[in-house]
Amino acid sequence: MAEIDFDGVTKIFGVGPPAVDHLSLHVDDGEFMVLVGPSGCGKTTALRMLAGLEEITSGTLKIGNAVVNNVLPKDRDVAMVFQNYALYPHMSVAENIGFALKIRGDSKSEIKRKVAEAASILHLSEYLERRPKALSGGQRQRVAMGRAIVRSPQAFLMDEPLSNLDAKLRVEMRLEIARIQRLLGVATVYVTHDQVEAMTMGDRVAVLRDGQLQQVDTPQDLYDHPVNEFVAGFMGSPPMNLVRCRVRAGNDRIEVDFGDQTIELPWHYTSSHELPASGLDVVVGIRPEDVIITDASSPNTIQTRVERREALGAEILVHLSHVDPNTDPSAYAENARADISRKASLVAKMGPRVKITVGDVLSVQLSPEHAHFFDAATGVTLRKRSR
Amino acid sequence: MSAITSNAPRVRRMTLRRRRQLSGFLFALPAIALVIGFIGVPIGQAVYYSFTQWNGLTSTWIGPSTWTQAFHNSNLWTALENNALLLLAVPFALGLPLGIAVLLHQRVAGWRIFRSIYFLPTAISWVVLGLVAERFFAYQGTLNSIIHALGFSHVNTNMLGYESTALSALGITFVFTMIGTNTMLFLTGLATLDPSLEEAARIDGAGRWRIFRSITLPHLSRFIQLAFVMTVIALFSALFSLIFVMTGGGPGYATTTMEFLIYQTGFNQGDFGTAALYGLILFVLTGIVGVVQLRLIGSNE
Amino acid sequence: MTTLITPPQESDDREAPTPPSRNTRAKVGRWALFFAMVVIAVVMLYPFWVMIITSLKSEAQFLSGGGFSWLSWKHLSATIPVGQEVLSSTIVCSASILIILVVGLPAGFAFAKLRFRTSTAVFLVIVSAMMVPLQAILMPEFVNVTKLGLTGGYFGAILVYAALGTPFSVFLFTTYFRGVPDELIEAGIVDGLGYFGALWRLVVPIAIPAIATVTVLQFIQIWDDLLVGLLFIQNTSERPITVGLAVLAAGRTTSIPELMAGSFISALPAMIVYLGFQRYLVKGLTMGIDR
Repeated sequence: MAEIDFDGVTKIFGVGPPAVDHLSLHVDDGEFMVLVGPSGCGKTTALRMLAGLEEITSGTLKIGNAVVNNVLPKDRDVAMVFQNYALYPHMSVAENIGFALKIRGDSKSEIKRKVAEAASILHLSEYLERRPKALSGGQRQRVAMGRAIVRSPQAFLMDEPLSNLDAKLRVEMRLEIARIQRLLGVATVYVTHDQVEAMTMGDRVAVLRDGQLQQVDTPQDLYDHPVNEFVAGFMGSPPMNLVRCRVRAGNDRIEVDFGDQTIELPWHYTSSHELPASGLDVVVGIRPEDVIITDASSPNTIQTRVERREALGAEILVHLSHVDPNTDPSAYAENARADISRKASLVAKMGPRVKITVGDVLSVQLSPEHAHFFDAATGVTLRKRSR
Repeated sequence: MSAITSNAPRVRRMTLRRRRQLSGFLFALPAIALVIGFIGVPIGQAVYYSFTQWNGLTSTWIGPSTWTQAFHNSNLWTALENNALLLLAVPFALGLPLGIAVLLHQRVAGWRIFRSIYFLPTAISWVVLGLVAERFFAYQGTLNSIIHALGFSHVNTNMLGYESTALSALGITFVFTMIGTNTMLFLTGLATLDPSLEEAARIDGAGRWRIFRSITLPHLSRFIQLAFVMTVIALFSALFSLIFVMTGGGPGYATTTMEFLIYQTGFNQGDFGTAALYGLILFVLTGIVGVVQLRLIGSNE
Repeated sequence: MTTLITPPQESDDREAPTPPSRNTRAKVGRWALFFAMVVIAVVMLYPFWVMIITSLKSEAQFLSGGGFSWLSWKHLSATIPVGQEVLSSTIVCSASILIILVVGLPAGFAFAKLRFRTSTAVFLVIVSAMMVPLQAILMPEFVNVTKLGLTGGYFGAILVYAALGTPFSVFLFTTYFRGVPDELIEAGIVDGLGYFGALWRLVVPIAIPAIATVTVLQFIQIWDDLLVGLLFIQNTSERPITVGLAVLAAGRTTSIPELMAGSFISALPAMIVYLGFQRYLVKGLTMGIDR
């Protein structure tokens, strides 16, 4: 077992922008590290460089304190689970799982024992003599896992191992993989584009975009304190509402303009955030669950109209648009059907029993404790470093 | 972990990509060597020797006049003419298999057995097929028996015996030998045709002929092109066995094609230089067809 | 019989309720079709019929037309050294095919998965060599192989067959391996294989169908070939059967019934291979177009 260290690792394919750009990332021994990002962000390339399947253009990559830049995959002692499983079609399940041990030269009885052990962990014992072709998707996935765990390698590398499974099985295997990883305590790098997997599985999550590392943190910190608009928008579903607003700072208070409406923020934000000077733009981020319905009489509310409503069973997503306060609210209600394609600018997540219909005009409060502020030009968070 | 540390310094000299490329090159090397040594080098040699007088042991440089001389040789023109005339067999070598494939595709009872029977001659040597064809065309052969059975008892043919008919007999045999392969190609092509297309056309009110013309044939065009190329190449370079056993190139030069002329010039007359030159002419002829073939393959990749 | 082509479910809709007149017309059509197929079958079986019938006559019976006798089969081995020739054919075929596979498999793997700097160009050059007929390079080839002293035994012919078959096998294997997912090889490499190990323990087992295709096609090709065996095996006692037959036939002094008996024997192995592996033959023929 070992720790993994990316130090300024860069990969450039031919000419063009780097696929991975100066990636520096440390994975502790036994840690479950998730690399997440949209497709083309370089997460798979990073993993393949770690496996030794892709050349490192520059930088240093260490596994257990040894530089492995030019070490052959077979000498790195890492195990990899591929997206399409890559099971050997001409071998039985037992042969698939034991293949690496056979190459390594383990004795037959040793291989048999280890394969049986891995199979029992993965509930595969009764399928050992089958060919991969005769297995279901979930079983194939388990065999791929078995091939990795049987080796007790320095690290597990997993490349979107669940993306070919159906939704139900995915949830099941998510827990299963996390359980096995904790059981074995092997450092794991797990690549996915699914932020739910990232949130639920990782000890820490690294968010990548265009080859650049955006943020590494525990899932909760990532969710609560995204360093920029991209991370804020990527983590969480539905994504955080990001609204461009104008700041007006006066005595003892800050006001931000939402369209024609204004809300006031508690002054203490200025101590934790570096808000721009009065009259400049800022991007305010608010998570859907932090958009709260109140009655119109309470202070600091904005008027919105319900544009769309998506009932998901356990919750309702409500798409809201701003209402001009100078217009009579009833006029909106009457025109409700007139233009259904109006763009919503806020999404709110509400309990399943809230009675709301399209066209309703609602007063909502943006929970000021949970607002995020990003630089309007760079998208970087305005929260001060030391908290 | 210890394995990594001990191995790292040794392997560091070569990057992973270099190792992969080197392995790839080494893996391809035997094939490259074999093809260059036995096909590439002889092409170059043929070019050189075509300018010499050469008996296989000693060669004397003559220069371009060997070429002008060769083109004044009437045998070359006869052989080229025979090849050109044999091209007339190509439409039959494509048309008949196309018809047979369409019949097979109707899938009447026992069509799989018929299919195997139709393809079976593909397995046997053209030497054997040539021997059988000789029996067919011979004075006492099947052809005359058929003619007699039809009531023309005074007619006796001997197609292989006369300069005027020998080439036709060769062409007919060639068509027969190509039927299996080409039928196989077309049948595979028909199998890849989506049956719902045909059904849609039938619903639209198209008749059988219309469906064949507007749907089946266009779909088969790739396969027909491939069959055409393969047939023409066989015509230029695979008739040797048939000619060798059926006619020996005769009577006279009536069935001497380019490839047989090369063999005769080299091995019967010992004129290796001229034979090498004829080889180059054949090379150019097939090369033209080959380029077409490569473009077909290329267009599918 | 191997089922290459799955028949569409068509019988029902042909028998579907149609006016009686059309139904009978369809029936007559079916019978006409069947009759046509039988006629074609007779034509295609003609060579086999000729071989069998003719070989079952003595020379005298052949000339007079009637009768039946085992004489030609009894005397066959005295006229044609069938046993020796079949053995020669087998040796030449097996050795050539072995070389074609041993050389073609790694090359196909390299061109599909381990591409090096000039691999595309080299691949194209090798594939173009498929188009070069032996006759075009016959003279230099013959002189080279003779000078190397390889026309004495089987080696010359084996090498020439191997060289002529390699371009096709490289093309077929490359195409086949392009269809194998990269991850499969990578999984093996992460599991601890070198490239040679990946070739031997993963690529070759996966390529069994392609290997069968190459083997069947090359077997039929080489078994049936005349030119190479005729020129590159100088020793008459080492002649393959096809060459032996052709030389006897060209001499025009051999009894025709015996020649036909020999022909039948020579045709038998290729026919058996063909009937057993028809599927692979079709695959190989349409390689590169049927995808």
